[in-house]
Amino acid sequence: MNKERRGTPSFGRFRLKEVQGVLAQQKYPLISFVSICVFFLGWEFLTTYGWISQVFLPSPSKIFSEAVKLLKDGTLTADVLISGKRVLGGFALASLVGVPLGILLGTSRFLRAVFDPIISIIRPLPALSWIPLSMLWLGIGETQKYSIVFMGTFCSVLIYVIEATYKIDPIMIRAAENLGASKLQVMKEVILPGALPSIISGLKVVLAIAWTCIISTEMVGASEGLGFRIWNAKDWGNTPQVLVGMLGISLTVLAIDIGFGAIEKRLIPWQRT
Amino acid sequence: MAEQTTILSIQDVSKTFDDRTVCVEAVENFSLEIYEGELVCIVGSSGCGKSTLLNMLAGFTQPTAGKLLLHNEEIVKVEPRCGMIFQAYALFPWKTVRENIEFGLKMKRTPSAARRKVSDTYIKMVGLEGFEDSYPSQLSGGMRQRVALARVLANDPEILLMDEPFAALDAMTRQVMQEELVRIQKESKKTVVFVTHNIEEAVILSDRIAIMSARPGRLKQLLINPLPKPRDAAVRQSAEFAQLKEQIWNVVREEVLKGMR
Repeated sequence: MNKERRGTPSFGRFRLKEVQGVLAQQKYPLISFVSICVFFLGWEFLTTYGWISQVFLPSPSKIFSEAVKLLKDGTLTADVLISGKRVLGGFALASLVGVPLGILLGTSRFLRAVFDPIISIIRPLPALSWIPLSMLWLGIGETQKYSIVFMGTFCSVLIYVIEATYKIDPIMIRAAENLGASKLQVMKEVILPGALPSIISGLKVVLAIAWTCIISTEMVGASEGLGFRIWNAKDWGNTPQVLVGMLGISLTVLAIDIGFGAIEKRLIPWQRT
Repeated sequence: MAEQTTILSIQDVSKTFDDRTVCVEAVENFSLEIYEGELVCIVGSSGCGKSTLLNMLAGFTQPTAGKLLLHNEEIVKVEPRCGMIFQAYALFPWKTVRENIEFGLKMKRTPSAARRKVSDTYIKMVGLEGFEDSYPSQLSGGMRQRVALARVLANDPEILLMDEPFAALDAMTRQVMQEELVRIQKESKKTVVFVTHNIEEAVILSDRIAIMSARPGRLKQLLINPLPKPRDAAVRQSAEFAQLKEQIWNVVREEVLKGMR
């Protein structure tokens, strides 16, 4: 490095080399960055210069100022928080019940025989089809929101967990029993940690389903939340606000995904290497 | 061996696997007494039922006929007093070396301070100091099998059942592990039932050698290994060693040919 610096004739060329090095290293993130910039600039250009009507598709700057307005009066933050709370609450409930039950079902043929027909009936039902019944039973309060997320995700959680338990090498269960583990200890010490990587990748998919559930529920009957905001904005013909709401969903899901990834790394330390 | 107390007794054991379409006789009328503190090698070609026999001794499966006795009591369920070492190690990938070794004690709810003391002893015995906090995926095959050995020893079984434990290792690592096993057995005074298809390995390790026939596995021949202990590298070069190998090979060869027909 030092030698090269001495050997390089002009300072300018040396700097250029360094920049080129950084560019080569960060090539793909850079391409992604340029891509998103071109996307928004193109959008801005097409809408401001009238190629596409602003009524049909508002420009990014308009959406941005709408977002700033909603952020200033606090509605956007409140919507994100309430929707996030509903999603995570319902999802946590479904996982809390689904993971232990799934492990039990995965290890006991008897229990599987008991629950299989019931799951088979409930599983094909889309979350949306639970909305009318849940409204009749629970109204449009918070309990109904959580229950929709729960109903929409519970069977998926269960199936992912059962599948995950099948992937464990039976020799590990034998080894554990040979070392004196009881049935319950095998479940806690072998099946749960052994299935955990697959369970977590399953739960990631389920989390996306949970968002679908809550947004549709909020569109049908709610007074706050991202789904409500979008639906309400549509009624007023406020296209920028519709798009702010959609972007809000996007960014929230992204943020939660990143958080989930961090939790995953802590839960599965043996796969870090 | 002056006093010979029977610890394990295999009495006229047969095992048939019947899954409705095919019926396979894996082991047939097999009898063998195993004495306290000895190392018995069970030798046979692949598919002769050696592993089936070991699985029955561990209590993973039950015989179709006959009895397996540990201290004169029939083995009817998974038996922690017969610690199993698997060819594929069967370590828990989500546990560190130390946690793997402490597994049996944890199942018995031994307090963690006492657990640590025991794991320290066995980590040292198998030479894994410095790797206590590694995960199995970070270790080589030989090191993984050392962890498996320490894990079983820490659980203090009376008998070690070893199912071709070194078959997946390269020749050099295997030789080192064989020497280690001899040393560890001397230190711990455990009875060892060692299944292998490697004749040289059987000759190096064993006090007695049980040769199994081709399927269905019967006891073809039982030999006392006359080679003096300890068996260092020089023994591998000796005429007696070659002779014993030859003698076993002649019996095994016949059975391999039968099995291929």
